Amino acid sequence: MELEEKAEELLETIWICTEEGTEDSLAVVGLREEEKEATEQLLKVDYIMATDGHLRLTKRGRPVARNVVRRHRLAERLLTDVLGTSDMLLHEKACKFEHLLDRGLDESICSLLGHPKICPHSKPIPPGGCCQQERAPAPKLVSPLSRLSPRQKGKVAYIYATESSQLQKLMAMGILPGASISLIRGFPSYVFQIGQTQFAVDKEIAKAIYVRLVEPETISETQEELPHGRGRGCRLRRFGRWWSKRS
Amino acid sequence: MLETKTTPFRYDESLESALSHIENLLKDSYSVSKRTVSLLLLQGDPEIERRVRKQEASSYTSIQRIVSEARANYNQPISYVIALRRQQEAKRILSTTVTKKEKFGIGFAERLSRTMMNPVTGSLILLIVLYFGLYQFVGVIGAGILVDFIESTVFGEWVNPWVTDFVVGLVPLQIIQDLFIGKYGIVTLGLSYAIAIILPIVTTFFIVFSIIEDSGYLPRLAMLIDRVFKTIGLSGRAVIPMVLGFGCDTMATIVTRTQETRRERVITTLLLALAIPCSAQLGVIFAILSGNGLALITWVMAVALVLLLIGYLASKVIPGERASFYIEVPPLRLPKLSNILVKTYSRLQWYFIEVLPFFIMASILLWIGELTGLFNLAISGLEPVVKLIGLPAEAAVVFLYGFFRRDFGAAGLYDLHSSGELLGVPLVVAAVVLTLFIPCIAQVMVMLKERGIKTALAMTLFIFPFAFLVGFVLNLILTKLGVSL
Amino acid sequence: MALWEKVLKTISFGKSGGGCHWGEARLDNNHLSRVGIVGNPNVGKSVVFNNLTGAYVTVSNYPGTTVDVARGKAKIEGVGIEVVDTPGMYSLLPITEEERVARLILFEERPEVILHVVDSKNLERMLPLTIQFIEARLPVILDLNMMDETEVAGIEIDVNRLEKELGIPVVATVATAGRGMATIRKRLVEYVRNQNYAV
Repeated sequence: MELEEKAEELLETIWICTEEGTEDSLAVVGLREEEKEATEQLLKVDYIMATDGHLRLTKRGRPVARNVVRRHRLAERLLTDVLGTSDMLLHEKACKFEHLLDRGLDESICSLLGHPKICPHSKPIPPGGCCQQERAPAPKLVSPLSRLSPRQKGKVAYIYATESSQLQKLMAMGILPGASISLIRGFPSYVFQIGQTQFAVDKEIAKAIYVRLVEPETISETQEELPHGRGRGCRLRRFGRWWSKRS
Repeated sequence: MLETKTTPFRYDESLESALSHIENLLKDSYSVSKRTVSLLLLQGDPEIERRVRKQEASSYTSIQRIVSEARANYNQPISYVIALRRQQEAKRILSTTVTKKEKFGIGFAERLSRTMMNPVTGSLILLIVLYFGLYQFVGVIGAGILVDFIESTVFGEWVNPWVTDFVVGLVPLQIIQDLFIGKYGIVTLGLSYAIAIILPIVTTFFIVFSIIEDSGYLPRLAMLIDRVFKTIGLSGRAVIPMVLGFGCDTMATIVTRTQETRRERVITTLLLALAIPCSAQLGVIFAILSGNGLALITWVMAVALVLLLIGYLASKVIPGERASFYIEVPPLRLPKLSNILVKTYSRLQWYFIEVLPFFIMASILLWIGELTGLFNLAISGLEPVVKLIGLPAEAAVVFLYGFFRRDFGAAGLYDLHSSGELLGVPLVVAAVVLTLFIPCIAQVMVMLKERGIKTALAMTLFIFPFAFLVGFVLNLILTKLGVSL
Repeated sequence: MALWEKVLKTISFGKSGGGCHWGEARLDNNHLSRVGIVGNPNVGKSVVFNNLTGAYVTVSNYPGTTVDVARGKAKIEGVGIEVVDTPGMYSLLPITEEERVARLILFEERPEVILHVVDSKNLERMLPLTIQFIEARLPVILDLNMMDETEVAGIEIDVNRLEKELGIPVVATVATAGRGMATIRKRLVEYVRNQNYAV
């Protein structure tokens, strides 16, 4: 069945706090009317269970919650990398966007974005079925350098380094977001040009550089209309007061 | 100290506030600005942390607190946030000072560069470089024509007779005469090996190497070879010490310093000691095997196989971080003659300061060895081993030379071959064993210094029996197959 | 190598003896003024060194040729200067051993002038290090090297404007051909003289 926006946000909050955080459940304090409704809806479909004021995901609910998180973070990626949305508005917009990404649509967006591993806040994006396919079609909007074809050009969108020494190396090479980059060769090693310099790197490093293949659309006009604030306007965050640390 | 006029640019607010808090807590004086010290602290620089802990004993805990609070503000490492901001500032400055005209198309140098990096055309270019640069120039011209001329004409006809006359006229004592002009004499063996055999080969190699270096070919070769090197636990970057090793393994062992991980340095050091022949060996081996293509190919294959096999095993056994590969590919440039000459000269100078004393010392030791009979004892000890791998007893002498220097042994091999005592299968086996065999004294010294006693000793103890084992197996295969070379 | 050991001995932290530790002002009037040549790998630091001192250290066309610290003397307009060539560094936060050595020279020996050699066609990549030197309040002169290749690439640099933006002396050179080296010498000597007056 279709979940309400509120219900999805609740699932997401429980996921972040239990699967990624250190808690084993979400403590619930002082619910509002709409929040109570969301909780009840989730209890009814057996996605969550409640034991003395604490919520946790059920076996059934876990994949659903995971998918909500995935959609939210993919939405954030899309907004940052392709639409050039500023950090301030990111969370707000992503909250709206995630609910529009139905199953199937999230896979095509994931492919367009080169199967990103982390959201713009460096939180992991749970991989979908599309991420496992080795020979998938080449990404169109954002792609790791390792999947570009020779002569493709773009700008560095972000770096996904698996370890800090790798990040330091990339920084030393001047590979930072915004730098123009073009691939010269993809075999036997990756040779690319950044500014006026060419570098040769192995696949591990090439996989860490995500390249934006299109110029971001300017959305400065719409930015003015939206309320400012550091993304705290998102209603998802309201669930934040539901949970407290359980020591 | 001269202060610069500009005020430093600002980072974002939370970083600036952390910076000013830390700066206020830094009471001692530092040789760089407190802002820089604070920035390095925020980025977790261990050296600076140690320094500040010592100099700011009372407030260090507060500093640590500010640092960890500041880090918690960011999703990314602070060093990344800082680097991004600096990059922005650089861009801002350049936007008003630099203009670029868009250029279309690529020039000849870039086209050649891409040909070098294409695996098909690149391999072809590598073969051409190896054939002309190494085989023709170092092997045929250096080790063939030049060595012949200097050895037989310069030494054989002029130096040796003159020195012999001089020494004989000066000292009547046979023993002392032998020290200078005997079979193992300082002049007839030490100096003539160094100048007549080693000098021309090493010189020609360093000329070729300097040209290759200055053109910018090496990073392109590194790019081509990275995948292969990954299987032996190295990154493409290791071609630089490896190729230099074909010149002088001792020099190359020092250059392993530029490698990133300890694991890579250990593997490279081992492979240099084991399977990379130095230019003197290479030159001599080219010279004695040049008339026999099949023998040359057998030698190349045997050594390459050992290199890959031991590299592969070493990469499995030696613990540590996996090598990652990144290298700047500079534009191809036309080498400057003056730089090549000066560079070759300075390398030769280094080489001879290293080599000559060893050559002379080796002559003296051999002379003592012969006088005392120790030499014959060592040779008779080596003879069974030498015979086991199918070589004539005389070859034992060559291996004894090899102890002193790789190139010294190579020169001995050259002598043995030209006197017709070593031919066919045994010659190839001897060439292979001598290539793999113990690294020269100078190299062992550098290995000790760079890798430490334990590692260097373990490598030496492994290489010695292993070289003979390979020789034994190779001899067995070649004779069983009935190959005649 | 002997040189390597010598360098480590003279510059290692806490070993400089006489209670002179990192962070203490050095007021030695008799010692030769020192110029430290620093910069990214493969920008031509050693060529500049050779040009200034007339000595020779190995120069190649790939990064990381200089693994040791080379020292030489130069006499410019009658002023004796010690020139120190350092291995390449990407930033003040070191990742490799060579970078650590280069930084040690800057922080411990504190040369009177730092000559930051850069590949002028890649300023965007090089300038962050200049910015770090300025942040550290190190006395730095920026050497825009390889100007010939920059011109060929169709890049124009407004040197005067850059000087104003950064607030430090900026000189354009082609070290391999000796172009601009006279200006470098002049600027170095000005810097050294100014400092002597300041002391």
